[in-house]
Amino acid sequence: MTSDTLAISATGLIKNFGGRRVVDGIDIAVPKGAIYGVLGPNGAGKTTTLRMLLGIIEPDGGHRTLLGHERPREASDQVGYLPEERGLYPAMKAKDAIAFLGALRGLDLKTGRKRAIDLLEAAGLGHAVDTKIRKLSKGMAQLVQLLGSVVHRPDLLVLDEPFSGLDPVNQERLEALIVAERDRGATILFSTHVMAHAERLCDRLCIIAGGKRRFEGTVADARGTLPMKAHYVPHHDGDGIAALLPADAVRDADGWRFTVPEDGAEAILKRLIDAGFGIAGLSIERPGLHEAFVRIVGAAAQDDEADSLEQAA
Amino acid sequence: MSAQQSNTRRLIRQTLTIARRDFIATVFTPTFLIFLFAPLIMGSFGAIGGLGALSMKQGNDTKDRIVAIVPPAEAAAMAAIDTRLRRIFRGRDERPPALVTEAPRGDAAARARAELQAKDYDVSAVLYGPLATPTILYGAQGARTADYLAELAEATLRAERSGGSAALSRPTKQSVARTKVSNGGKNQAAFFTVFGIFFLTLLLAGQAVGTMAEERSNKVIEVLAAAVPLESVFLGKLLGMFGVAVLFVGFWGTLVSQIAAIAPPGLAAALATIGPAVGMPVYVVLFFAYFTMAYMLLGAVFLSVGAQASTMREIQMLSLPITIVQVAMFGLASVAAAQPGTAVATFAEWFPFSSPFAMAARAANRPELWPHLLALAWQLLWVGIVITIGARAFRRGVLQSGSGKFSVKALFGR
Ligand SMILES: Nc1ncnc2c1ncn2[C@@H]1O[C@H](COP(=O)(O)OP(=O)(O)O)[C@@H](O)[C@H]1O
Ligand SMILES: [Mg+2]
Repeated sequence: MTSDTLAISATGLIKNFGGRRVVDGIDIAVPKGAIYGVLGPNGAGKTTTLRMLLGIIEPDGGHRTLLGHERPREASDQVGYLPEERGLYPAMKAKDAIAFLGALRGLDLKTGRKRAIDLLEAAGLGHAVDTKIRKLSKGMAQLVQLLGSVVHRPDLLVLDEPFSGLDPVNQERLEALIVAERDRGATILFSTHVMAHAERLCDRLCIIAGGKRRFEGTVADARGTLPMKAHYVPHHDGDGIAALLPADAVRDADGWRFTVPEDGAEAILKRLIDAGFGIAGLSIERPGLHEAFVRIVGAAAQDDEADSLEQAA
Repeated sequence: MSAQQSNTRRLIRQTLTIARRDFIATVFTPTFLIFLFAPLIMGSFGAIGGLGALSMKQGNDTKDRIVAIVPPAEAAAMAAIDTRLRRIFRGRDERPPALVTEAPRGDAAARARAELQAKDYDVSAVLYGPLATPTILYGAQGARTADYLAELAEATLRAERSGGSAALSRPTKQSVARTKVSNGGKNQAAFFTVFGIFFLTLLLAGQAVGTMAEERSNKVIEVLAAAVPLESVFLGKLLGMFGVAVLFVGFWGTLVSQIAAIAPPGLAAALATIGPAVGMPVYVVLFFAYFTMAYMLLGAVFLSVGAQASTMREIQMLSLPITIVQVAMFGLASVAAAQPGTAVATFAEWFPFSSPFAMAARAANRPELWPHLLALAWQLLWVGIVITIGARAFRRGVLQSGSGKFSVKALFGR
């Protein structure tokens, strides 16, 4: 892919804080028009990576371009950003706060205020247009700030943990807003450690843990890293079933769960039918992103531990 | 339009956006009124103090007397001359105590001594005996009033000899306004200048740090930092507060000039002797220029040090030493204002952080203009240096999220 098709491309990003390497050679390529997720556990280096991509902090190594600009600042008018640590001036009215954020990105205040009113109404906050930020609830203030990051209609929207702090209703509103921004033509990059949103929204994603990128691809690719899981409910229960199932099979309330071997489940099922246990229920599916994430991050932690043991030795 | 140009334009626009926000956030608050009228509040404290001192003095005055023990015929002439002479004196400070005349009875010398010990009122001097050879007794504070009594005796005697107490000479009085300011007036102007600049920079630099503390505690700083280079945030803050300063100076400048215009002629004439050596129009320009320099220098230092702190308490702790340094600069410049041309004054004029104060004082004290051009260039250089280092320290300090430890390392490189 070239820079014509990429909104963000970064290779080998490195950041040290006080001698500790917090981001360790991360590559990211975000296609234009995509919703891209940066997933990772707390402390993985997501925020630091986003900050480097936006030019808020300078990387200690690596290379990045943002909307085709070598220096991210030059693209700043085409970018919207919701930082992990939200913050607005408490004395500002909601519509002024949105207009101010737009003004920082080059939108004139008058247009900003007009759009702010429309945006607030569309987000169900029409009653709060003239309310001071300090009088809004935390979640509402967060929505206001989010609207402030899209008011200038950016080509790229970067959201750091946008869902945290929102109630389920507002989380759904936010998902709708992200999709709407994508439909408008914007590229969206967001970080999260909650997989459900990523699973629903992301066209592509990467998983980082311990400052390294552990996975890159689509949601399907991520799930594809795990084998199929089967849930089997026998017609006639009996003691011999466990012996016919793979070693990892576990019993649950109404049947058995096991990992489908690489050559498929047919042989197992045939043995179960032949032995007379029958099939009352059967489902075979890919585990969700959540499981993929846990496995990838877990494996990464083991790797790192092995590495550090090796180094110690 | 080249990329370079559009970058510059964006930087200017962003800086102005920040400046505008800070300006509005500062000006449209109730506390700004307090700030705006702070000089009035300070002035009225001064006035109350002055009134207190005055009333104490008046209390004393009304009980003060000088006594002349002379025959009634002479007493009348003396009283008339006393009334005339008194007109020369202005204010209660200068005027001699009220004159009381008594006819001589018995032992004049003993009576005179008794008067000096009087209980109901304070007699500072007593005259007795023939006017040609009077004896004047005076107390601890009475040396000058004794002279006055002597002069009174002399004048009364002369009047008597030339026939009557009526004035012989008929002077034509003509008031001529002073066109050159007095030396004392220059010094006063110099001091007002230094104090004015000091007062303004102190207030405003503190305000700028305050808005920054607010941003840090509200976590707005990251939004700013993401959209706008921190150098622009830094400059915008300086500029925003500068706008407040201009408003402030404009307000008081207009007010004072209007008051001067409607002031009674006596006061206007008195004010005219307080003036700068370089002349008013140039002085206004220089005052503004030096104020700008002083503000930029100290504001930049305040802001960059303030950026190293993450809590209000830390900011207050850090502000103290800066304020002390600032007061020291003020003191240095005040000395320079009072003693133009001395080594201290020269030092104060060259040392970057006192230079704007001291040079403004010089504008009041001395007429040459060329040193000001030199000084402004020199100060501009330092403004550049301080803002560059300051912006860098600001950037490092501000992005030290969370921990917010102050480190000298943060100021000087990686
Ligand atoms: N300004 C900073 N100074 C020192 N350490 C930092 C700073 N910012 C982040 N870190 C450290 O870097 C690591 C990664 O942080 P972060 O990027 O915020 O992770 P995430 O966003 O994935 O939770 C954490 O261990 C954090 O303590
Ligand atoms: Mg984070």
